[in-house]
Amino acid sequence: MADHRRRLLIIERAYRGALETQFADVLYLARELNRQQGGTDILLRGLAVTFAAADPGPAPAMTVGRRKLETLPAPRDSVRSLLEHGATVWAEEVDLAAFETGPNWLRAGVRRAGPADPLPDWSTYRGVYFL
Amino acid sequence: MGRQLPRADVLLAVMGGPHVNDTVTSAVRLAQALLERGATVQIWTCGHATGLTKQSLGGSKPRNLENWEYDYPSSAMLAKELLDSFPEQLTWYSCRFCTEERGSQPHIEQIRLRPPFKFTEHLDAVDNALFLGVC
Repeated sequence: MADHRRRLLIIERAYRGALETQFADVLYLARELNRQQGGTDILLRGLAVTFAAADPGPAPAMTVGRRKLETLPAPRDSVRSLLEHGATVWAEEVDLAAFETGPNWLRAGVRRAGPADPLPDWSTYRGVYFL
Repeated sequence: MGRQLPRADVLLAVMGGPHVNDTVTSAVRLAQALLERGATVQIWTCGHATGLTKQSLGGSKPRNLENWEYDYPSSAMLAKELLDSFPEQLTWYSCRFCTEERGSQPHIEQIRLRPPFKFTEHLDAVDNALFLGVC
């Protein structure tokens, strides 16, 4: 019998090389896994909770020689896209405390993983993967 | 007496590897800002940072499934653009040992290989040396 339980992806290492990574960041992988698996749960922890901020921030860009490089990773936009594509995104509440500056800081649709809305027990997932 | 290295204002020794944190991004931003202000800069790459300028990377990254037609430049292409934009001010060296150990050979043509036992000559050739990350 097919196992239809979802998988949990945990992302806690953020900002791993904007210039060399560009579009191919950890959320690009998460998006592909979400597509292959028909929906997945993603838990953002540590510095990676900043991916879940509602404010898109300034467009990431830098100059290299005479080239304006405007294809740096845009993780906040990637989280928006993941939600649109059916992923369930959680942000660890204790880690949000270091960054959250107000009630509208967190992107709508991202769930706070804390006592009020606990993340499902890991044993209920088909697998847990640290990306 | 070894060969004379050109003098430079700043040496950026990129020891940390790419795809780990924003060390490489910071190094390039710093180099760009210094070069735009007329400074002379030497970049030295060690460890996995030698892979940034591998010739086998070509000019573009693999295609983006979400934006198939867009050309995303490889790190080798970005290094070339930086070198081509500031030919009189920027020199890029790569550690010969690390290049061989990490399979980074051949580099794009502007990269100069130097043995690690000559590294002190590079420190002596600049007014300021910044180490970024560890091998």
